[in-house]
Order: sequence, then structure tokens, then C-alpha cells
Amino acid sequence: MIRILVLALMTLTFPLSMVRGDEEEYYRLIDVSVAKAATDSRSKNWKPAPDGLALEVGGLALLDDSRLAVAIRKGEVWILDGVYDDPPDNVTYKRFATALHEPLGLLYHNGDLYTAQRSELTRLRDVDGDDVADEYLTAANGWGVTGHYHEYAYGPKLDGDGNLWITLNIGLGLKDDQLKRIVPNAALGYRQGRWRGWGMKLTPAGELVPVCAGMRSPSGLGANAAGDMFYTDQQGNWVATNSLHHMRPGAFFHHAEALASMNEPGSTIDGVEKVPSGLPLPQALEQFQQLRPPAVWFPYKKMGQSTTDIMLDQSDGKFGPFAGQLFVGEFTQAGINRVFLEKVDGEYQGACFPFRLGFASAVLRMTQGSDGSVFVGLTNRGWSSLGRASYGLQRLVWTGKTPFEIKEMRAQPDGFELTFTQPVDPESAGDVNSYRMTSYTYLYHATYGSDEIQTQTPTLMAAEVSEDRLRVRLRIEGLRPYFVHELNAAGVRDASGRPLLHPEAYYTLNRIPNDHQTATAP
Amino acid sequence: MKAETFTHLRCMVGRTWGPFIFGVVIAIASIAPAEEQPPETDDSDSIAAPMVSGFDRFARHDELSPTLAGSLLISELSCVSCHASDDQWLKPKRGPRLTGAGNRLQPTWLKQYLANPAAMKPETTMPHVLSQLPESQRGEAIDALVAFLGSQQQPFAVIKAGGALPVVHEFWKRGDADRGNKLYHTVGCVACHDPDPDYETVESKPSAIDELIEQLDPEEIADLGLASEARRVDSVPHGDLVSKYSLRSLTMMLLDPTKTRPSARMPSLRLSPLEAADIAAHLLRDQTTKQIEIQSNDAPQSTVEQGRALFVQLRCAACHDASDALAAAPAKPLLELNAAAPESCIENPAGGMPRYAFDDEQRNAIRARLNARRIENLAAADEVDFRMLQLNCYGCHRRDERGGVGRFRKAYFETIGHVDLGDEGRLPPTLGGVGRKLTPKALAAVFHPKTVPHRPFMTARMPSYSADAVDPLVRGFQEADRGDQSDAVDILPPQQEMADAGRDLVNTGCVGCHAFRGESLPGVVGIDLSGTTRRIDSKWFYEFVLNPSAVKKRTRMPTFFPDGKSNRPELLDGDVQRQISAIWAYLQYLDKEPLPEKIETVRSANYELSPMEKPIVLRTFMEQAGTHAIAVGFPQGVHFAFDAEQMRLAIGWKQRFLDARGTWFERFTPPADPLGDAQIKMPAGPLVIVDENGGKHEGENADYRFRGYRLDAAGVPTFLYDVAGWSIEDRIEATESGTLRRSVTVKRTGKVRSNTSDQKLRLLAHAAERLKPQGDVAVSDQHGLTVTLTEDLARTGSLRRSGDGDQWLIPLDSHDRNTAILEYRW
Repeated sequence: MIRILVLALMTLTFPLSMVRGDEEEYYRLIDVSVAKAATDSRSKNWKPAPDGLALEVGGLALLDDSRLAVAIRKGEVWILDGVYDDPPDNVTYKRFATALHEPLGLLYHNGDLYTAQRSELTRLRDVDGDDVADEYLTAANGWGVTGHYHEYAYGPKLDGDGNLWITLNIGLGLKDDQLKRIVPNAALGYRQGRWRGWGMKLTPAGELVPVCAGMRSPSGLGANAAGDMFYTDQQGNWVATNSLHHMRPGAFFHHAEALASMNEPGSTIDGVEKVPSGLPLPQALEQFQQLRPPAVWFPYKKMGQSTTDIMLDQSDGKFGPFAGQLFVGEFTQAGINRVFLEKVDGEYQGACFPFRLGFASAVLRMTQGSDGSVFVGLTNRGWSSLGRASYGLQRLVWTGKTPFEIKEMRAQPDGFELTFTQPVDPESAGDVNSYRMTSYTYLYHATYGSDEIQTQTPTLMAAEVSEDRLRVRLRIEGLRPYFVHELNAAGVRDASGRPLLHPEAYYTLNRIPNDHQTATAP
Repeated sequence: MKAETFTHLRCMVGRTWGPFIFGVVIAIASIAPAEEQPPETDDSDSIAAPMVSGFDRFARHDELSPTLAGSLLISELSCVSCHASDDQWLKPKRGPRLTGAGNRLQPTWLKQYLANPAAMKPETTMPHVLSQLPESQRGEAIDALVAFLGSQQQPFAVIKAGGALPVVHEFWKRGDADRGNKLYHTVGCVACHDPDPDYETVESKPSAIDELIEQLDPEEIADLGLASEARRVDSVPHGDLVSKYSLRSLTMMLLDPTKTRPSARMPSLRLSPLEAADIAAHLLRDQTTKQIEIQSNDAPQSTVEQGRALFVQLRCAACHDASDALAAAPAKPLLELNAAAPESCIENPAGGMPRYAFDDEQRNAIRARLNARRIENLAAADEVDFRMLQLNCYGCHRRDERGGVGRFRKAYFETIGHVDLGDEGRLPPTLGGVGRKLTPKALAAVFHPKTVPHRPFMTARMPSYSADAVDPLVRGFQEADRGDQSDAVDILPPQQEMADAGRDLVNTGCVGCHAFRGESLPGVVGIDLSGTTRRIDSKWFYEFVLNPSAVKKRTRMPTFFPDGKSNRPELLDGDVQRQISAIWAYLQYLDKEPLPEKIETVRSANYELSPMEKPIVLRTFMEQAGTHAIAVGFPQGVHFAFDAEQMRLAIGWKQRFLDARGTWFERFTPPADPLGDAQIKMPAGPLVIVDENGGKHEGENADYRFRGYRLDAAGVPTFLYDVAGWSIEDRIEATESGTLRRSVTVKRTGKVRSNTSDQKLRLLAHAAERLKPQGDVAVSDQHGLTVTLTEDLARTGSLRRSGDGDQWLIPLDSHDRNTAILEYRW
């Protein structure tokens, strides 16, 4: 009771500097090219701004130390030079490719650019060396394209084994001619095009292999430092809230209609006879053997509203203290979030943290520049987002100042271990009253999104500060497997008395390590 | 441009604008005329007359009848909360709901406010209630009341986020004061409230009427009837927001003001959660320590109960909702009040009477209304006028020579992008005759929270109101404005065939200033005319188009019918009624009609693909070529679409190629449709087929694999695909003679499976119903497509007839390489 009072008081007033908006102090935004005016992103008559290139970024790929290739949604690839200038006043634009059908990814691989368009994965080759593509070669195709707008194709991204991965959106409520292009004799009577809602990989031998299924709107893919491939999904039917998943053979994630392709040759999933709907996730996992929980849930609103791209920080510190972690784009709130992953029992799980808001439009794509800064591709057409523009390209640069943040959050048999970016003040960090925790899960069901359910408040027994003051061990009673454990460390201060830039962390505790195991970071 | 500040120049004598300058007030008061002396009460040194916008702006300048002015004061000061009356006009405004006061208002502010409301919030309409208690008891009473209000806890609404509504976690902490400053000064707050003297408005042309007023002397202004427009309009005071609110409570109030203020005097400005947070951050920018939440109440229950009892006893509950606090017994009904009583709420209050800080003008108005007893037989126009005074619609809108954006406030009303559209483009519209102009449905929709703005170029927003709040207005406008219309000319019944003439007419004039279905000429910013026939009454439309300035003074809209005659005499016999009716008909069918020609031309320039030097390729969805369509347009004006899924040449067409807008920029990916003429269906199926048993090719052989395409130096794509161990290169291009020339080369890839040695490769040169040979080297179908082969190939071909389609088949011998040339003519 006293703790609640203390916490209540703690949240009442903050010095001015604690109100967010300080992110700019640590990560600075530079406009490379941003549309001059906002447009009604949902208008049927949407038009780009009258001047300049409609840089609705669908894909970003680094070509060399100065040039960046940008795929735009109207179907072109442009090569930009001078993008590292600050201010970027002399960026040059050269059109490399045209006539692509809404390309939503770009990868520079073995000297060629690869992009997923609606109907195929295309390799763009410049044979005569004039920086204009002469060959549009089909690297892979064969998935269903019924003509429904929602059937986006995303990718490719490269994993540690040289595979190129793509993900395929599910269609929504197909009708008329679209129904002529669905999987014949689909499993369980679902009406979808072939491999819709699946993740696939193109092997170095050129074979396109279906790997895992149950995706709704998998707009982001990316490999972690170990070379394993992940994707993000977006809240909607069957998807309780935004999520991050490890793509691996036979895994099924959420959206039941992806099972339409279950009986197709090459499918990695079989034997699903019935899909439960309306159960809390832990029970649904028991009843639905193929169902795999996400590695990380992003609680709705608190951690954004639409996850997008996945980017591994490979800068070795040039982008700040988070080397080796994943960054996840956020569409609706125009931001980027951060993810820490670890393996427990051989499966990935981990925590997400707020990182940076304030981009000029919806964040769809990210790629790290050779100097460690991050190029951020923006476009909000068709949906809505915060920000002053409908599209553009921005660059996020670490200012060199280290924010006071929870860097890592590891599961322990009896709680969590937090690692901070800077030494903590032992008094506040050692006080259990500096922390608040709740845990909750979601409903697995066919309807749109889910509230947080079965919310409880685990008891914080102790907070032990390590000798180097960089770590805090939280001993907690009442951990629950498969539940999100939401932490707010608002009372923790650093050595100079400053609070955390973001006190929140959300750990998806699918597995609680037992006493004999230590969780391993990948 | 820096707008002039208001507060410095406020000229009303005896009014105050802040507790910190009482001395000045007293000084002014002492030289004020006797009838404007502040009322004699025990707190006289800090009293300012309550502010009621409509009263101050109009009644104080003799522009309202005394009884109307009195009615307004009685409703806005909530007299009927205690003194019952069944007169609908006098329905009390009441004060804010206090059911959530505990987590919305700062206790220290409450304390100071209760001690002397007008000192904390000059010009407040709340009376000094505690002054009826002896000085010695007030401190304890205030503590108890504050404790009680602190116990009034109500959770804040949870804002539901969605794909269309970004809601940042704890958005009230995320407000940006700079953005808030800009919003506060542009969305409409300053129609009623003070702007910040330091805010810089963008330099824009002064309002035409203001320019005129500048040049006139006061007498001329009066003679021209412009006195009201020349007058400075006072602001509704904010009071000390910094000490009153937390960031969260002010944000939530701005987001949905009627939740705590159901009277809708403070309306919702359709703010997004983040916008509300921005404005809150701006208004609370001077909080030295950011108050995010209100401190919780820890007073003992006994004090809370004491406060509750006082809340009832002091009649607070008559005006304010609070949990478990019922209003005390009513006072004397309004009709029984003696306006001339020596002791009353309005003058020399005694005992339990509340202390209002009236001045004599206000007293006289209230007395006039009380003396009038019952007022019967009010016209609809009066009803509208009264409601507009209550809601202060006049703060923005002008109607029947009353109201409109106050002078010196107009600089804050801008257009987005600072386009010069005159006053009509930046100031809220005048409402004279609006009940006749708008259809009832459209009129009601204006207030609805979900209605999208009709003037998207205006920075000021039309606030939203609940149907309850504006129902009298919506009905009153119609009743007042829709008089006898039997003489009015109406448009002729719209007919689709009139729409062509209408399209022609709008092309001469309307397109210069208006958008159509979201499309407009470059640089044109104006009202979109789609939906006009659903919004606007047809008779009004007729009159307005015929002679705009006769209907709407000072409008920029010119007439296209000078002296009532058409300047397009060649159309519809120059008949004015038929021409205006034609415009109406065109607008009615606008969803299906082509855009006005001038706009269509501009639009085509942006989105129509017109191959000039090289071919243009577009990958898209096409009804005729499927979801793997590759359309190729040629400068020669002959185009085709290839189906890269079925490996077939799907269609050909001529003249104009394609409009790419749907493919490039539309979320719902509509199929692209050929723009030109002479669309022809090409032979069914792929050109090269594997004929296994000499039987008919089924066309669903899944062995084809598309490999992409290559562009040559001329920009012509060569499609690459495989079938059964053969790789095929397929190049199709337009010729100067308006045909398509196709060259197909098959090569062995060396990956032939051993069991396919008996497969025969054939060229399916034509496939359609009832094919007809044309000489030795050509075959045509009944739609006029003729396929011509080179003589050597044609010689070996044969026509295979069958009931559901004939095929012209040519064996391709099994050499390693073979090229065939075909020509398609139609």
C-alpha cells in the first residue's frame, strides 16, 4: 500500500526535462528529403506534393560509402548520392529502375539489387554499367496474387546462410474475380491465394521454399546478429497486438487463413483440424500444437500501433550503446522501438523498449549507413500516422551522448536482471519502490486485436544492485509463463540523479528459465 | 505580422484582467461614471462584472433588446438553477461537472478560487458563494469543500487508438508547446480567447472590411452601419490555468470539453490527442514544475463529509454535478421574484444569496427580463439568434448584421499555405439564409464530430457539437430561413443528358476556383463541388449561380450570367435556366461523369503515360491481362499487355496508352484500363505450346516459368520464359504501320527430361472461334485480328477446328534454336 502511494506521488510531478521530447538530445534527426506538406494519407485522390520526387520509401539498400538505393511505392528505384551530408543540400537523384509493382523491399546482394514486388521477387541488373537497370529478372514467383490490395509482398532480407527471405500479406475478404485465384481445395475452407500469410526463403540454389505461416501483415523482416531471420506482424484479425517472431520451419504464428495453403506441396505445416478462437493465449497454445508465441509482443499504444521494419545495429557502437540489438519501425506513431532478445530453452524471447518518436511520417524502412547512422524511409499513404509529411527520407544520428536507458532485460528463474547503459544510483535502483510491474496476456481470436487480459501485479521482493552498478537483479514472485511482464522503473536514477529516458520495458516471458539454466544471449 | 494585443487596449471601464493589477482597476474605477461604479459588497475591491460574450459585445452597445439581454444573462448565469422557470430560453448554462474534480483540478487553485472566484478568474460567471459566511468560518469551509472536491475522482476516458488514429502512450506528457502555440492561434481558440501578444501571424492582406474601416471616421462608420464591425471584441478569460490544471487534465478537457462542460459553451475543436496535448503544453508552459497529474486527496473522511454538506448547503450542487450531493431545496421561482427588491442576488445580496459582481447594465437587463414575466410568440429567427448568442456562434459567424470574427482577431484566421482567397477563404462563413441554403441533413452534419471539413484550406475549424446542443439551431435555421419560396425559380429536373452541357459550362468558369472530386487546376484551392447537390438546396443554387453577390455580399464568386444573360449563347439555346440546371445535373452525376476537360487535361499530364521516344512499361493489375500484367506502350500509338502468369499476349490497343495513377498511388489497387481505342483480344493461350499427344492444348499446362524481361537499347522488353526444357525469348514491338511485330526464339536449355522426348513444340499462331484463312500466310478471327506468319512457317501450319475454338498450329522442328516472326494487325 505504501509502495503504491510512493509510486503515485512519484508520477505526479516531473521537472520539465523529464517530459519526453528529450530523445532529440541523444538521437538527432536530419531531413534528407521530406515532402513539403502533409497530404490526406487516406484520400482516394491522394497526390504527392507538387514538387520533387514522391519518395514514398518501400525499400532502402546501401550501395557503397556514399550511395543509397531507394525503392519507392509508385514502382521505381532511385540512387541517391550525397545523403551523408549535413545538411544534405546537394543530394543527387538518378532513376535506376521503373515499372515495378509496389516494391516493398530492397537488398543489394552479390552486385545486384533485389526487390519484392506484388507478383515476384525481382533481380535488377545493370548490364551495361550506365546505372540504369536493363534486366528485370524473376528471382522467384509462384505465390497467389488475387488482385486484392492487401496482398503486399515484402523483402528480401538476407540471413546468415545466404537465403533471401520474403513475407506475404494475407488478403482480406476476397470477392469477385479475386476468388478465381484462390488455392483450389484449400484446407479448412479458407479462401486465400497460394502462400498468402507465409514466410518463404529463396535458397542460394534458387529454390523458393515455404517456411512458416500465420502472418497477417508482415511488413518487416530482418536477421539478428546470429543470422536468424525474424519478422514483425501488425495487430488485426487473429493478431492481438504487434509482435516479433522468429521464422523457422513449421512454426505457425496467428492468422488462421494462412492455413489455406497447408496442403500445398512444400507446406511445412500439417494436421491442423481445428483452429481455436476466443481463448487466452496460454490455453490456445495448449490446444493448437503448431501455434508458436511471438518472441516479443509490443503492447498496443504503449509500444506503438503498427510495427514495421527490423534493423540490426551492426555499428559496433557508432550508433550508441545498443550494438547487436534490433530496432523495429513504428508506422502509426512515426517512431522506432528497440528490442533485446535472448534464448531460453532454445527459443527466442525478450523485451521491447521505446526508443525514438518524432519522425516526419510513418516509419516503414530502416537501413544502417556506413557511419552507423540510420536511414529511415517514410510513407503513410493508405493509413494514418503522426508527423508533418506523407513521405520522405530522414537520417537518425547518435549525438555521442549516452542516454540513461534499460539496455537489457533478462529473464531469471525468480525475476529479471536489468542492465543499464550507465551506472545507477544504488539507493534508488536498490529500492523496490522504484519499480512497478504488471503482467498480462491476450486473447487468441478471429476478431480484430485484443485487450490485455488476466492482468496481475507480481510482487517485487528485492532489487539488488551489482557492484559495478550497471545491473539490477529484480526478485519477483508471481511470474507467469507466456505473459507479458510490463516494467516501469520510474524511480531509478543514474549517478547524477537523472531518471531513465524511457522507464518502460515489456518482456514477453514465454519461458521462465529454471535454476540450472542460464539464459544465453544469441 | 504581429497582431495587435487585446488586453492592453481593452476599453471597458471597471473591468479587470488579472488580480495582479488591482491597483490600476481601482484607479480606473474611481474616475468612471457613477453608474459604472463597482457594486458595493464586502469584496468590492476585487470584483469584475461577469463576462458573457453576447452581452458584452452586443447588449452593452444597445444592439440587443433589454429583455433579450436579460434572458441571456439569466441563462448564462444559471439563475434558473435555483429560481425555477419553464422558459426554455432561460435554461441554465450551469457550471462544470465536478464529478472528477479530484483528479482534474489542483487543490491549491480550488482553495484560492473558492476564497474569491473573481480574484482568481476575473469576469467569472461563478458568484462568490462563501461571502455569505462570516470571515472567521471561511477558512475551515474552504478546507472542507476542497477535501470534498478532492474525493470526486473519476478516471479519465481511455482514447481508443486505431489505424486511423495515432494515440501515443501517455500522450498528455508528449505535448509540444511550440506546436501548441501555433494550434492555439490558428484552429479557432482565439475567436473567443486572448491571443498571445508575442505570437506572430503570417503577413496576410488585411480583411477588406477592416481596410475600409481604417479609412473612415467614427461618424462615417456609424452611418454605414459598420459600428459593430469596427468594435474591438473582448475575450473570454482563461483565468490562471497554470495553477488550475495538470497537463493531463487540461489535455483531456481540450480533447472533449463537453464531458465536463455539457453546456457546450466551450466546444470541441476536433483536436487529435496529441494536438490537445500540444495546446495544453502551450497553455501550461509557465508551470515551473510540470504537473502531470493532480495530487491525490488525503483529507480525512470527516472533512470530506463536512465539505459535502457545505456543497449542498451553499447551493453549489444547483449548478455543479458531484457524486452524492443533491441540490438543496429550490429558491423562489423566477416568476415570483421582485425585480425591485431592496435585497436580491442582483443587488445588495443578503443572507444566503450568492454574490454576483453585476454592474448596472447587467442589473437593468435582468430586471427588464424579470419585469417582462412571460415572453410568448417568439419567431424562429429569435430562437436562432438567442442560441447563437448563448453558444457565441457570433464569435466566428455573421448573420443578419450581427457578429462575425471580431476586429483585430482576423489576422489569426489564415488559409493553409497562406493562399489568398479573400475573407471567404479564411473567415468562417456568414450564416445569413443558411437554413435555406443547406439541406437539413447537410446542416445537421456540419456539427457532427465525424464530418470532414468542407473548407479544408481554412486553418480555423468548425467545432463539433452534440445533436442535443444544436438541435434548436438546426431546426431554427430552417424555420427562419425557409419562408415562402413559391416565387423562387427552381432548377429543371436533372437529366443525365444535360450533364454534358453542364460539364462544358463548368469548364468555362467554375474550374478556375473550385476542385472537382479532389482534382483541380494547378494552384487552385477552393471548395470541392462534389456533393454540392446533396448539400445545397436547388433554388438557392439557382439564385446564387445566377447572381452570386445578390445572395452573398462581398463574395469573390463572379457571375457568369451578367444581366441575367448567359455568356455561352451557343449552349442549350443560351437558356439560363436550362444552363444552370445543366450544371446542377453535371454535379449530381459527378461521380460517374468525366472531370471537367481542363482538369482532365492537367490530370493526364501528371498520370497518363504517353510514350514519346521510347516504349513505356507498367507492371500492374489489368482485367484483361490478370494480376501479373506487363503493359507496354509505344510511341507509334500501338500498345499491348502481356500476362506474365499465363505467358500470353493478352490484349492490344491503339492511340492513348494508360493512366498510371491507380497503380502508383491508390491504396485499393484498381486494375489499369486501356485509355485508347481499338482494343482487341489477342489469341488465347501462350504462343509456344508443348503438344504432347497431338490433341488440343488445354492452356493450363503449369510447366511455364516466367524469367523476367530484358530491355534493349530501344527500350523494348524481351520477355523471358521457360517451358519443358526450352527457353523462350519473346519480343513484341509496334510498327509504323500500326501493327505489332512479334519475334519469338526458342532454345534448348539442355535440361530436357528423358521422358519428354516425344514432346512436340508447336507455335499456336492464332486461337479463337471461327478462324478464317486470309491468303496463304494469314488467318483472321471474327473480331478483326489478323495474324500473319512468314511464308516458310505458314506453309507448314494447319487449322485445327473444334466447337469451342479453332487453332492455327505450326510445328516447330526440334533444332536447338528456332525463331518465328508474327505480325498482329487489327
